[in-house]
Amino acid sequence: MPSCGSEPGGCGQVKEENPLTMHEKIEAMLEKVQKAPRYTGGEMNTAVKKWDEAALRFAFCFPDTYEIGMSHLGMKILYHGINSQPDMLCERVFMPWVDMKALMEAESVPLFSLESRTPISRFDVVGFTLQYEMSYTNILAMLKLGGIPLKNAERAEDDPIVVAGGPCAFNPEPLAEFIDAFMVGDGEEQILELNRAILEGRRAGLSRMDILKSLCRVQGVYVPALYDVSYNEDGTIAAMKPNCPEAPEKVMKAIITDLNSTYYPTEIPVPYTDIVHDRIMLEIMRGCTRGCRFCQAGMLYRPVRERSLENLVELAMSLENATGYEDISLSSLSSGDYTCLAELIRELIRRMKEKRVSISLPSLRLDSILKDSLEETQKERKTSLTFAPEAGTQRLRDVINKGVTEDDLIEKVRDAFQGGWSSVKLYFMMGLPTETYDDLDGIADLAGKVVREYFAVPKDQRAKGLRVTCSASVFVPKPFTPFQWEPQDTQEVVREKQRHLVTALKKVKGVNFNYHESDLSYLEACFARGDRRMGRVLLRAFEKGCMLDGWGEHFKYQAWREAFEETGVDPAFYAFRRREKDEILPWDFIDCGVTKEFLWREKERADAAVTTKDCRKGCNGCGLQRFKGVCSFCG
Amino acid sequence: MMAVFEKSPRLRHIGHLDIQRAVQRALRRSGLPVSYSKGFNPHILLTFASALSTGYAGRREIMEVQLEREVSPEAFLSAMNAAMPPDMQLSEAKMLPDQHIALMAAVQAADYTITLTDDAAAAAIAAKLPAFLAQESIIALRRTKSGMKETDIRPLIHTLKAEGNALRAVMTLTERLACKPGMLLDALAAFCGFEETPRVMVVRNALLGADTAGALAPLETL
Repeated sequence: MPSCGSEPGGCGQVKEENPLTMHEKIEAMLEKVQKAPRYTGGEMNTAVKKWDEAALRFAFCFPDTYEIGMSHLGMKILYHGINSQPDMLCERVFMPWVDMKALMEAESVPLFSLESRTPISRFDVVGFTLQYEMSYTNILAMLKLGGIPLKNAERAEDDPIVVAGGPCAFNPEPLAEFIDAFMVGDGEEQILELNRAILEGRRAGLSRMDILKSLCRVQGVYVPALYDVSYNEDGTIAAMKPNCPEAPEKVMKAIITDLNSTYYPTEIPVPYTDIVHDRIMLEIMRGCTRGCRFCQAGMLYRPVRERSLENLVELAMSLENATGYEDISLSSLSSGDYTCLAELIRELIRRMKEKRVSISLPSLRLDSILKDSLEETQKERKTSLTFAPEAGTQRLRDVINKGVTEDDLIEKVRDAFQGGWSSVKLYFMMGLPTETYDDLDGIADLAGKVVREYFAVPKDQRAKGLRVTCSASVFVPKPFTPFQWEPQDTQEVVREKQRHLVTALKKVKGVNFNYHESDLSYLEACFARGDRRMGRVLLRAFEKGCMLDGWGEHFKYQAWREAFEETGVDPAFYAFRRREKDEILPWDFIDCGVTKEFLWREKERADAAVTTKDCRKGCNGCGLQRFKGVCSFCG
Repeated sequence: MMAVFEKSPRLRHIGHLDIQRAVQRALRRSGLPVSYSKGFNPHILLTFASALSTGYAGRREIMEVQLEREVSPEAFLSAMNAAMPPDMQLSEAKMLPDQHIALMAAVQAADYTITLTDDAAAAAIAAKLPAFLAQESIIALRRTKSGMKETDIRPLIHTLKAEGNALRAVMTLTERLACKPGMLLDALAAFCGFEETPRVMVVRNALLGADTAGALAPLETL
């Protein structure tokens, strides 16, 4: 392990002062905190590269706790990718829990990496992954704890370059003041090119600003300081223009054209302690062809790229050998759509039998032959099955282009109850565009039909203890979806709808209804479609103590409200306003592959409750056809 | 196959169940022909001579693994060391006879190094050790399922001496009766009149069994 001995107080110090090294301080803290294994490091397959031998050191920061971050596949891919470069080093950093954070502040221990316990300020690049909007305060908390100035304009020449990528980087504007450079799109190649450019810039003695300008060469990189935004009187954006020749007018996302040819780690870190997803995650494809109109990931990760069957089987075997995991789960936005799913599963079962590896499957999109072979070989755990009809009526499902009919759903549920399951979860959204109270009643109606299917199975043939859980989340309109122009329901309307659903579902015996306070969804909506001015709110909320907002017990809604008031920013402008067709949206300068024209066309079809077919049945002209040969389903 | 492994100080906060799972996964990575239990939910046949408490490190912890076919101790050692994390390396492996007493039942005592972080407290305890040990009985509190229970730990302390700012202790550790470092420290703190039990770092150096003459010796040598 490289030493973290830049701190005073190593050997040879005067005894009376008894200054503890950072390492000793951390060791002492670990005796006091709730979950020390979050901070110990040393897991199997974590990198132990020598600090002094790396020319570029990258701190991969996940702005949430260890258990969440370690469950994230993207982090593992990029961690491995950077460490595979002979001259680069990547270490992991997570958001400390409140107990650890308080001790670190009291003892002046800066945020450190797990591998070598090096303060993040000593890395060349500090990178955050943006998985969801409500982790933004954690980014500020981590920078502050790391002793790195929060605002990019205040960073000194030798401060680390702070970068960020992930799905929320597709609307980077709320973080424009804090992040030096954003990475938009697939990260595998991009992150290495970015590191390479920073390394070259540092070697050439370029200034911080010149290095940032040089990053514009890398596809999908956006440097916010190189763009100026002006506003109209009504608060909408008048123009967003590059202020230097290096910065492109439009930032095109990075795309890996062939997943089979890019790297995929097999030696992934295996944690000691429990994490959320403690198993092998095998990404079988990227992208989705279904075109659900509320779904941001379905648009951002286009085009659909499948890994080959041979590649996947080989990867699965290597992953098993390198990790010793007992479970593999197939990961993608819609695994049931993978072209050779049945063959893949059969082959995996065949190869994994001896090692007793169980394979978690995507829902019930399986033919009956496959089901039989599964029952033979898998430890069948009859946990609950999850279905996501998303909306209660066919009309509204057509509006959102969720290609599921009531018959589909009922048939699957019947299969499940006959197959020995007794617990079913149903996911819905409320507040979808065009939603009426009839659609809400449709949720109760559908839940009732599910319950009836259970009782239709003879008593001696069904599992005991029916449990139908109905969850309704509040719809958050997202950038780069056909609903990006739509208002979110106001909180009064949401509460009224929730009350209505509670009453309607009370009448259905055997159904448990879950819903959440709308406050978090409201804030999420503000950030999802926020512009640079939302950064002021973020900073103020952070100064008021907001942090770990995604953890219910730490979410301080009142502080957020005050932050809006004190900065003079109106949340309704972002959440509840309908945008016009010709409005310049804060994320318009990013080309995500799918065109604005396609999204508008889809919005109009939604208004008319007209569905659009799955791309696998023919090209819909979403914009990816511009990249010949990348999308397998383009005309 | 019996094997001696380390739980390094870095991993001291990892609990026994997590260590157990880490060893199971290492066995799966190693490619060794491990035996699985029969039944609905097969698991690797793996036992530990003694669970090591969360918070403690272990220098020579002992596990036993059942294998489907014979593997030489050397081959076992090298396959496992390639598969174990750097902080859990094996130092020894040894074939056990088919009929052997369960490791758990063979453990009689354990050898600990208990390092105090506070030098002053260490000096105070060292000075009082002779008087502490001269007591005929030392009543310590032990947490059990049915509440706190008083135990006389004096007969359970085989040796106890100061080594710099650390204590070296050999204490009884059986399935029925044990004096754990925490109990010893509480008793020492009370005896020295400390308000709080001092902070320590505990390393279990060895697990001891009884040889044919009844003398304590490292379990792996018996």
